Parts: sequence; structure tokens; C-alpha cells
Amino acid sequence: MTALQVSQVSKTFPGVKALSEVSMTMAAGSVHALLGENGAGKSTLIKIVTGIYQPDAGQVTMNGAAIRFANPRQAAAGGLGVVHQERNLVTRFSVGENILLDRLGRQALSRVDYAAIYREAEKWLKLLDLEVDPRTLVSRLSVAQMQLVEIGKALSLQSRVLLLDEPTASLTPTESTLLFRILRRLRDDGVAIGFVSHKLEEVFDICDRVTVLRDGHNACDSMELATLNRADVVQMMIGRAERITKRAPRPKTDAAPFLALTGYASGLGHRDISLSVRPGEIVGLYGLVGAGRSELAKALVGLSRQLAGEVRVDGKPVQIASVAEALHRHGIGYVSEDRKAEGLILLHSVLANGGITIWRKLANRLGFLRDIRINSDVGPVFRRLELKTPSLYQTVGNLSGGNQQKVSVAKWIAAGVRLLIIDEPSVGIDIKTKAYLHDLIHELADQGTAVLLITSDMPEMVDVADRILVMDGYRLKGEVENDRNYDAVSRAIMGLIHAPAAA
Amino acid sequence: MASPLRQDGWFTRAFDNDWIGPGIVSLAAVIGISLFQPAFLSAFNIFVLLAAISVNMVIALGQLVIIGIGQMNLALGSIGGLVAISFVGLIEKFGIPVPVALALALGIGVVAGMASGYIIARTMISAFIITLAGLQIFKGINLGITEAQPFYGVPDGVKAFGTGSVLGPLPWLVVPMAICSLGLWYLFNRMRIGRHILAMGCNPHAAELSGIDPKATIIWAHGLSGLLAAVAGVMLAAKLQIGQPTIGDDWLISSFAAPVIGGAVLSGGRVSVPGTFFGVVIIAIITQGLVMFAIDPFVVQIVLGLLILWAVAINRLRELRITRMQARGAT
Repeated sequence: MTALQVSQVSKTFPGVKALSEVSMTMAAGSVHALLGENGAGKSTLIKIVTGIYQPDAGQVTMNGAAIRFANPRQAAAGGLGVVHQERNLVTRFSVGENILLDRLGRQALSRVDYAAIYREAEKWLKLLDLEVDPRTLVSRLSVAQMQLVEIGKALSLQSRVLLLDEPTASLTPTESTLLFRILRRLRDDGVAIGFVSHKLEEVFDICDRVTVLRDGHNACDSMELATLNRADVVQMMIGRAERITKRAPRPKTDAAPFLALTGYASGLGHRDISLSVRPGEIVGLYGLVGAGRSELAKALVGLSRQLAGEVRVDGKPVQIASVAEALHRHGIGYVSEDRKAEGLILLHSVLANGGITIWRKLANRLGFLRDIRINSDVGPVFRRLELKTPSLYQTVGNLSGGNQQKVSVAKWIAAGVRLLIIDEPSVGIDIKTKAYLHDLIHELADQGTAVLLITSDMPEMVDVADRILVMDGYRLKGEVENDRNYDAVSRAIMGLIHAPAAA
Repeated sequence: MASPLRQDGWFTRAFDNDWIGPGIVSLAAVIGISLFQPAFLSAFNIFVLLAAISVNMVIALGQLVIIGIGQMNLALGSIGGLVAISFVGLIEKFGIPVPVALALALGIGVVAGMASGYIIARTMISAFIITLAGLQIFKGINLGITEAQPFYGVPDGVKAFGTGSVLGPLPWLVVPMAICSLGLWYLFNRMRIGRHILAMGCNPHAAELSGIDPKATIIWAHGLSGLLAAVAGVMLAAKLQIGQPTIGDDWLISSFAAPVIGGAVLSGGRVSVPGTFFGVVIIAIITQGLVMFAIDPFVVQIVLGLLILWAVAINRLRELRITRMQARGAT
């Protein structure tokens, strides 16, 4: 029986077609995997189903009736349970109260009947095998327990459709196994479960049907998972390279490494990371979401403590304690993947953003900054990047995504960094600017800058990097020499990711 | 998936409790000051102290509701002032009976608060800005009505309420304070709206996804805050025996200081009514006690500032402890 059906749904955001005519059919009593790489459209689809976005075309039906939720509250009331990737619990409240938060009383001034709430909550906790007193504060639970409380909360709405967005991202394998046992039981009770994950082992373990999205299209629509093998799924996820790579492999460099890590461990959970980046070399760091790539970059520029191992910059052992130190003492710059939140000050002008990394250098003895002085340093970089802006005093927030990215790269180039860590440079950028950024990265490397490139875009990785390190679960799984042969390289990378962890 | 939950020792539990710390400090201050100044515990002094505490407690509660939802209400004092002059003005100019005037005055407070709440909920502009605008507007209306001249027509019964005592050193003003405190405690701990306010303050995103109506909750909170500001305004008019247009001008700092000393977290979700009460008591004792010792007023200000820092430090320690506990739980 069909529980939830998505038919021919399209959604366009300014400049991007996020979904085009995507379909998916979730059956009752089945666990349905929704797969795709970053930016494939999974989250857009979930947001449309749960009423955060409205579709431009197509429709969603639940138990045969068309639904169009105006907001997540309506979706919850309509029997659609969602467990989002980030935890959504009120940590200072008890477990029971969290499960029944929207049913504490009929009216605003109603008295909360705690005895009844804990009785009701107990029922759902029991269903989930969660032996926790409903009076316990959520802040005292482990992450896995919180996850189950959220599932209990979704189920308590009598949901027959349950969407889980990367439920295992923060669970240990044992905890995941327990979660799966419960999911199987819910499935046998006739619940339709949607399961988003980047871990293919899990998908094959628990799911029976699969929908794969790629670039906002269906790479497959609700296929029986039993008819597929892992290679088929991977193939559908990454697709074939859309274009033949044109760049020849770059000559190898044997300069002494600019940055070298040995047995490095970070406070964010990285263990035993050994890698090196030489001047003039472009090293790619590939991995699925949650592999710990951006986190490694952040740890390296001093946003997390180094717990073990050694970091050498220019051959000298160092401890980098802050971003300021990374930049001013060691010449390491980080272009954040989230340029809106972490990379740029959107309300400030192009000039101010471009100059931010070199204010220290540019300020005169009294600490005053002059626009002319900033312009003389940053202006040439902007010109080289062909930045399109009406004026240098334009607010960065008003520029297109590509031009914003140029500003955020420009500020590091202006700072004359010796190692540039670039995180997902082409998210939300048109193809032309993307090619331009790739040229730029090559040009920088040719001039002797060491580059560490993080991207989930496989064609981009194969096109730009010299060699590719593969990360999974905050550890390095291996290295692939990049000969620009897309099929071979991408297969080797996926092979490394899905290889069982070395003991 | 059950994991044994750690049982905390008595010290940890006391440390996590919001009102024990300020309670001990209050008690120590009373004992300390009365050792040197026995007059501190005279019936008259206790009466004066309790009257001041009563009014300041209701003011602090007005702010506490908004702190609970993670916002600020800068208009608290100007709503209280507008209500105070309206209350006395209605009686003096139109001869309206006291109970009717009281109901109308409290109504003005509720409406003023709900108006701020409505604008905040609709536009989602920061409450700081909206209530800053409210502060100006309500104060402007106040000055327009009074032309900066007080209303003197406070009836004798109201004056008696504002200055008389129920029993010995217990002023009548304690009664509305006790009702508001118990009411708000009940609201925060046992009523749907109170729990929703705290849930919003603790995690607005989760609250909304759980089906709580954020707009209605914000409007409720500001309406309640306006009501408490109105009660405090009427109490103060009764205590001062005059509808003074400047009532409310000096509420802002202590309205934040008392809840913070009482363990409230300004980002929302964590408030304590008893903690706030002891916060008010501490501020009153310090202010009054230091005057008794003829210590310069500037010292009082510095001591208050240090107290706020101390309270914030304790809060921070608690949060860190919880974070560490969760980090341990996760691995």
C-alpha cells in the first residue's frame, strides 16, 4: 500500500533548479532509502514534503490524498513524523514533556497533567526499548538516547510515515544496530520509513527500496534494492563525468612539504591523520558528508585543540592556537564552505571584505586604515579574478554566488597565504565561474602556493587535484593518485570509502 | 539502550539549584548587617525593606517572563509608568471607582505588552528594538497626558494599601507580590503556556517543529509582562501616594539584575521565581544596608556590578558542566 507518493515535483530557487520532476513512492511496511550526493536535492525534497518549502510543480499525496503543508507544524499534525539531522529537543525539559510538547494542555492556561504525560510517554519509550524514566532531563541522555526520544516523539503523533534524515550520523555502530532493530519492528507494524544516509552498508542492511537523486533528477525512482548491488548504487549517485577533463596532470613536485601532519588527532575526533602538502601541489580531500573534512580544516587553522601527533609547518613543529596565528604567523588561509555564515560579512562592502585578512598589515602606525591603502593591495586581486561588482563599496550580500566566492578567495590571496585550504568552492556557483575558480586554483599552485581542496563534487575533484586523500569517519582511508581518468579514479575513491575500516 | 544515569551528590544538586546560592547570600547578608547594626532588624526597617522588595519583585517578574522566552523588554518601565498615571488620572479626572480604574489600568498594561509582542511575532525583528521603540512611545503618551505634572488624586483607601501594614512589619504590598510570584511560579512549572515559553527560550527551532505556535507564545509572554509591569506601576503609585510621571524610569537595570542573580539565563529557557526573589532581596539589602553604614552610593553600584558578574560566572560554570557531561555521554 502506498503511504506517501511524490509525483513530478519541481522546485526552482533563484538561479538554480533544485528539483526537476522528481518522483518517489514510499510503501507502508517498507524502509525506503533516499540517496544522493551533496546538492543532489535530498534535503530540498524532504523540506517540500514537510512543508518547509512549497513545490513549484507536481504534487505530494499521503494515503491517496493530496497534501500541501504550509509549515512543519501542519505536517506533524497531519501524521508525518520527521527526525531531522540536528537534534530538536528542549534539553532542559524532561523526556516525557519533550515527547508530548505540543499536547501539554488544551488551552494556554490549562494545567499540565504531568502524571498523564509521563504515563503516555512511558508507552512510547517502552515501544522503543528505551529504558529511561520519562522524568529524566533530556540533557542527561546520550546522543543515541536523544535520537530515540525524537523517534518516539514522531511516533506519538500516530505517524504512519516517518522520515529519518541521517539518523546514524552521530551513533556508534552498536547504537545503530539497536536503532535498526527498532526500525524493523516499526516497519513490520506497517510504518512507512524514509531513510536518508550516506553509509551504503546501512542502506543495504535495512532498506528494501531506494530512490537516488542526482543534480535534482531521479537517477532511479523507488527501485527494489534487492535487484541492485553496491556498484550500481554508487554509479547512480555519482553518474558519469559530464565532460571530458581537459587539464593534463601537473608535473610532480618534490619540494619539502609545507604542511606535514603525523599521527595527528584533534579535539573534534580526528585520529591518526598523517598527510603532507607541498608548495605548488593541489591535494584533494574527498569524503562523504560527516567524514570530518571541513572539521579537519577547521582544526588545522586553530579552531580545535591538537590532542596528539605532530604538525609541522615548513619543517618546524608548531601548535596552532587560533585563526589569527594560522594566518599571520604561518600563512595558512581557510576558505569556508559556508561562505555566507563563516566566510564573508555580507553586510559589509566588497572592499572591506577583501581587506579583512590584511588589516593588520595595512593599518598604519596609529592603527588607522585607509580605503586607498586597502584598494592598492586588494584591487589587483579583484581585477585578476574578474570580480563583477558595480563598485568596491557594494554590499557583498548583493553579489551573485560566484562573485561572493571570488571575494572570499580574494581576501586570502591578498593576504599572500602559503597554504590555502578551500572548502567546497563551487557550491551554488554557475559552471563558468566554476571553471574560472579551477583555473585560479591551478594558477595559485603554479605560483607555489600549497592548496588543500575539499569538495564533494567528484568531477571537480578529478579535474583539479593532483592527488586525492580519502577520508571517512574522521580517519584517512587512503590516497589515490589522480591521472584524470574519471572512471578509474572515482571508482578507486568510492572503493576506499566503502572498504572496511582497517583494524 | 539504557545506560545507568549518574546519581548526583548533594553538593552538585545544590549547585544546580537556582535559589539556594542567592538564598544563602541573602541570609548571610541579613545576619552580617544585623550583627553590626541591630537597627537593621527593627520592625520599621523590616517594613520599609519589605515594601521595597515587594514592588521590585513584581518588576523583576515582568522581566523574568520575557527572559524566559529569550528576549528582553526594555519597555517594562514605561508601560508601568503609563499604567500608574492612567490609574490615578482616571480616578482624579473622571471620578471612576477604584476597582474599575484598576481593571482599566491593568488592561492598558496587557494591551501595551501584547502590542509589542504582536509586532515582534509578526515581523520577527529583535525584541530589543521593538521594545526600545515601545519605551519611547509609551513614555511619550505618558508625558502627553500628564504634561510632566503628577496626578495627586490617589484615594485614601489606595494610599492606605500602599503604606499600611497587614500585620506588624508586614506591608499590604506584600500581598500582590506574593500572588504574582506564586502565580508565575505555577505558570512556569505547571501550565501549558509557561512550559511553551520556556521551551521557546531553550530551543526555538525545536519548539516550533514540535508544534508550538511561536507567534501566540511570544504575544502571550509580552502580554503577561505588560500585566506585571501594570501591577508594579499601580503598587508604586499607591506607595508613593501620587501618580508620578517618572514612575518606571529607573526599573530597567534592577529588572535584569535580580533575575540574573537568581540564576536566569539571558538566552532564555532557564528562569527561577524563588531565585529572582532572593536576587531582589540581595539588591535591597545591599542598597539599604550600605546606606545604614553611610557607605558612599558609588560603592553600592560597584558591589551590584560585581554581584551580577558573580551570578553570571556561576551560570557559566553550570552550562560548562552540562556540556562536559554530554560530551562524556556521547563517547
